[in-house]
Amino acid sequence: MRFMVIMKASEQSEAGEMPSTQLLAEMSKFNEELVRAGVMLAGEGLSPSSEGARVQFSGDSAPSVVDGPFAETKELIAGFWILQVRSLAEAVEWVKRVPNTDGAHHQIEIRRIFEAADFGDNLTPELREAEEKARAAAENNA
Amino acid sequence: MKFLVMVKASAASEAGEPPSPELIEQMGRFNEELVASGHLVQAAGLTPSAEGARLLWFEGDQTPQLVDGPFAETKELVAGLWILRGESVAEIAELMKRAPNPDRSAGTVEIRPLAGEL
Repeated sequence: MRFMVIMKASEQSEAGEMPSTQLLAEMSKFNEELVRAGVMLAGEGLSPSSEGARVQFSGDSAPSVVDGPFAETKELIAGFWILQVRSLAEAVEWVKRVPNTDGAHHQIEIRRIFEAADFGDNLTPELREAEEKARAAAENNA
Repeated sequence: MKFLVMVKASAASEAGEPPSPELIEQMGRFNEELVASGHLVQAAGLTPSAEGARLLWFEGDQTPQLVDGPFAETKELVAGLWILRGESVAEIAELMKRAPNPDRSAGTVEIRPLAGEL
């Protein structure tokens, strides 16, 4: 099973404050462990929402673009991992060990990623094959 | 540069309603275009937050508290994501304006550059 592990933003991350050298070192050690255990598929930090944008769909009218920053800091995302593990419980055990050297209040959300089997008959064999092809081709863009 | 593009959740995605065959087909075609244009690195959909969990660290805590989903603030939750390669936020925003929306639902897609990416 694949899970997206979402690190929520903080005032510091939104202000563009970089993590301390100690935290960077511990995070890199943690990521190495994830890689060694064969569970890390991706791990990335995001720049503050001031560098981002939103595209809003309102139904019938054309979508509009709104530039960041966005106000609701605690709901924003500051980074993420994609982990391949056997269960939510296993993902939780890994996430409990995410370094928090700065002792700041923070929150991490863990969400399962859909697999082809979840879509049932709506994902026809033809669509499934097309999706697998696209997935394989996307690896060349990585 | 690489970007994380997030589709925000809706009442339907949080209720676990499977996407319609029409949406699955259009999304498949959209993703194929993104692959062919060299933009798509990864695409994934997330199951409802009812299947998820959160870990909360309070100030000074070493041990986090575990809270099981579902989580209430639907519009702030993420329902799906793309990781895309591109030159600018504006370029990705133009691409995303064309994201399939056969049901004409209201919704938001958020685009965020990955830090330290060239």
